[in-house]
Amino acid sequence: MAQPLVKKDDDRDEEAEYSPFTGIEKGAVLQEARVFNDPQLDPRRCSQVITKLLYLLNQGETFTKIEATEVFFAVTKLFQSRDIGLRRMVYLIIKELSPSADEVIIVTSSLMKDMNSKTDMYRANAIRVLCRITDGTLLTQIERYLKQAIVDKNPVVASAALVSGIHLLQTNPEIVKRWSNEVQEAVQSRAALVQFHALALLHQIRQNDRLAVSKLVTSLTRGTVRSPLAQCLLIRYTSQVIRESGLNTQTGDRPFYDYLEGCLRHKAEMVIFEAARAITELSGVTSRELTPAITVLQLFLSSSKPVLRFAAIRTLNKVAMTHPMAVTNCNIDMESLISDQNRSIATLAITTLLKTGNESSVDRLMKQITNFMSDIADEFKIVVVEAIRSLCLKFPLKYRTLMNFLSNILREEGGFEYKKAIVDSIVILIRDIPDAKESGLFHLCEFIEDCEFTYLSTQILHFLGNEGPKTSDPSKYIRYIYNRVILENATVRASAVSTLAKFGAMVDFLKPRIFVLLRRCLFDSDDEVRDRATLYLNMLGGGDDSVDGTDKDVKDFLFGSLDVPLVNLETSLKNYEPSEEPFDIDSVPREFKSQALAEKKAPGKKPTGLGAPPSGPTSTIDAYEKMLSSIPEFSSFGNLIKSSEPVELTEAETEYAVNVVKHIYDGHVVFQYNCTNTIPEQLLENVTVIVDASEAEEFSEVSSKLLRSLPYDSPKQTFVAFEKPAGVPAVGKFSNMLKFIVKEVDPSTGEAEEDGVEDEYQLEDLEVVAADYMLKVGVSNFRNAWESMGPDCERVDEYGLGARESLAEAVSAVVNILGMQPCEGTEVVPSNSRSHTCLLSGVFMGNVKVLVRLSFGIDGPKQVAMKLAVRSEDQTVSDIIHEIIASG
Amino acid sequence: MLLAVLFSNSEGNILIERFHGVPAEERLHWRTFLVKLGADNLKGAKSEELFVASHKSVYIVYTMLGDVCIYVVGKDEYDELALAEVIFVITSSVKDVCGKPPTERLFLDKYGKICLCLDEIVWKGMLENTDKDRIRRLIRLKPPTDI
Repeated sequence: MAQPLVKKDDDRDEEAEYSPFTGIEKGAVLQEARVFNDPQLDPRRCSQVITKLLYLLNQGETFTKIEATEVFFAVTKLFQSRDIGLRRMVYLIIKELSPSADEVIIVTSSLMKDMNSKTDMYRANAIRVLCRITDGTLLTQIERYLKQAIVDKNPVVASAALVSGIHLLQTNPEIVKRWSNEVQEAVQSRAALVQFHALALLHQIRQNDRLAVSKLVTSLTRGTVRSPLAQCLLIRYTSQVIRESGLNTQTGDRPFYDYLEGCLRHKAEMVIFEAARAITELSGVTSRELTPAITVLQLFLSSSKPVLRFAAIRTLNKVAMTHPMAVTNCNIDMESLISDQNRSIATLAITTLLKTGNESSVDRLMKQITNFMSDIADEFKIVVVEAIRSLCLKFPLKYRTLMNFLSNILREEGGFEYKKAIVDSIVILIRDIPDAKESGLFHLCEFIEDCEFTYLSTQILHFLGNEGPKTSDPSKYIRYIYNRVILENATVRASAVSTLAKFGAMVDFLKPRIFVLLRRCLFDSDDEVRDRATLYLNMLGGGDDSVDGTDKDVKDFLFGSLDVPLVNLETSLKNYEPSEEPFDIDSVPREFKSQALAEKKAPGKKPTGLGAPPSGPTSTIDAYEKMLSSIPEFSSFGNLIKSSEPVELTEAETEYAVNVVKHIYDGHVVFQYNCTNTIPEQLLENVTVIVDASEAEEFSEVSSKLLRSLPYDSPKQTFVAFEKPAGVPAVGKFSNMLKFIVKEVDPSTGEAEEDGVEDEYQLEDLEVVAADYMLKVGVSNFRNAWESMGPDCERVDEYGLGARESLAEAVSAVVNILGMQPCEGTEVVPSNSRSHTCLLSGVFMGNVKVLVRLSFGIDGPKQVAMKLAVRSEDQTVSDIIHEIIASG
Repeated sequence: MLLAVLFSNSEGNILIERFHGVPAEERLHWRTFLVKLGADNLKGAKSEELFVASHKSVYIVYTMLGDVCIYVVGKDEYDELALAEVIFVITSSVKDVCGKPPTERLFLDKYGKICLCLDEIVWKGMLENTDKDRIRRLIRLKPPTDI
């Protein structure tokens, strides 16, 4: 071993002086390229210059259009030389230069000549170059030659044509599709590579024809496939056919499974892997089908080649997500991979083991992982932490070991993301495993003593405030919290003050001592800290201006979540003008408006609601509220509860475009009709909407606001208001007629005639439905919210939704009908799933919180069944939700 | 798709880079990423020992051949196994051209030939030829022996 090392060093010394490309410079090389024009070509010298050009290109050097074209022209002269080595270089440099040079077509005739040459190798290379520079028209000219080349007896020529076909299929699919007979013939070729290339091309040509692919697979799985590469392709196409065909209903067997299983005994590793992976990815794979695949993968775990170990463990890791039991046999082999040199392999081994391990092996596993953690990067560590979190939730009895592990790694060095993953995990474990609470909180307390991340400190302090007072000995946490007030930055200090107040509110015997600490905070250098301390002292009764709040008020204030969206609160506060009347938090709209949705709808549409689209962060609902309260007729209606999305009442591209926004108040409903006149030759005046409410018995019209004038293409509004029983979610159907006086406008002067004609225009009907009374208000932790709501007003029922296009479509239909806020991303249905649970939350009229758990299932003929469980604070509201579904 | 084939010397200077289907603005990122990967793991590695990594849905197989580091990057059907095949063809062809695992100097001396080999092995992001003897003949415009 020593010898080559010494030699290497020698070489390196020489290199510094003699590297063939030392001091290479583009300008000089371009000068040198003039040798291509010499009447007496020197092939050796020309090859050297081409090599230099290639070196420059491969180093990322770019040539300008002019430079490239100039070199390109010079290169074409080299076709005159008969030197074979030089010709090969010429083919390569043409391909490299063609994207940047103009007029590459100049070389076509030389290439066409080579394409018909007697020398096979000229033909093959000419085909490859031509296909690189060709366009549609040229391709039709040479198509005949290419078709011949595909079935050429020389495999190099055939392969060149086939691979060209694969590339050309992207740009000229119609032409390449005409070659399928020749390609079909090439699939039967005796040359392994030709068969491989032909199979790939044939499949691409026919990929949209299921029957053809199925036939192709059937015939080839019975015949002989010569190269392992082609065999791999065939396995892929076979699994595609299996996916599309489903089980054989008579025997229950899976078609082609025997073929895949047979491939597991192939002599080429790549084929074995491909087959094993195909089997593990079969949908609804049984453990009997899995076993042979797992067995071969297990053998590869102890392979000497890292790539094979990686491939095996990666596949097993995937299997463990769905069939952990099937992988347990490999546990011993995987354990030995924890010490693998390759960290990717080791991490995959650990995360797989964490999925497949049983309760008794946890302790041993954790010991091994501890050694491993110190020498991997943060990104791997995060994966491990997440796997440990799931393991702990699976085996709650093992929380002591796992929690200790988490707390140990929390003390070690690490970046923000890593630390956050650990803290999140501990928090989740505390929430889900009651026994783990005290030790978990203690670990978090220790962590904040020396935590460099403000965000994590404040999160932990908040959590500590909620959970700490409920423990057996709350006083032990106070020291850690107050240390923050002394030692940390203002943000953390303010959080610590809030946490102290929570302890004071919940634990009576601590209150006097908390007062002492809070009073000290009154002298803090930061206003926010001082303000909080003053506020909490007075609230808890320890200050000079103590407010008379009941114990419940105080706790609601401290622990209740802020049930208005922050954005809405911000805008309401900005809109608030200082006056005698204090700011009322109940006036802040609760409707959750996602900014993204509003933005998505904005482009391409004329302003639907107000004269001008609302600017900046002001949400639509604020803008609506401001506008409506400025109209005297509606100013006495109270707080606006909700405004609907605009509902179109006319078809697109009609003379008059009208949509309506439903504004819901406690005892009133206001319809805002947004009207647009799309006829330049008309001016509309005295525009109103005549609403017939005969199918809406509980509503009676109280006022309407007519629109004086509606010129061309400037949207304006007219309003109609109805009274309804206060606090009742009344529903009904309204028919609408647009009524106006139309005046002709002279297009040249833009002036309207004096006299107009009365006219009417029928609009679509409009409905007020129960969902209009539902506010989209999310909850951060659905499970907690569900548990704390309790089953008192729960109602559960099952519904058949009939045949649906897909589960996702059914889910989104139900979510839309209810008008509630999906929680925790459950509105997204994974593709191909047969069942799904969707969690919704909202606030119904009268400030009643509602939570909904929807469980969907779909069967073979796409019949969807749904179980609806509703919990709310009011039995009638739970019933209303069921009525919405029953009638929807 | 075979996204990239990259050769660098042991100091991380690029000798050859070929990208397929990687936008120009992402290439620098890939170059830096690969060179760092090599610097972290290839020190003291045996010649031709394969290393493997995955980054999102992309796979990387890399190795050291003599003084030269070779990286191949692929996605979809070019997973770690296919890439191992590609890198095997590349290393055996380079050894074939150079006569042994190359020093940087030797590699540069045979630069043109190596480019030709690569041209036969990878064509616009697809593996084309896999046999070094065949490749050796093809770069001299000689027909393969098996016909």
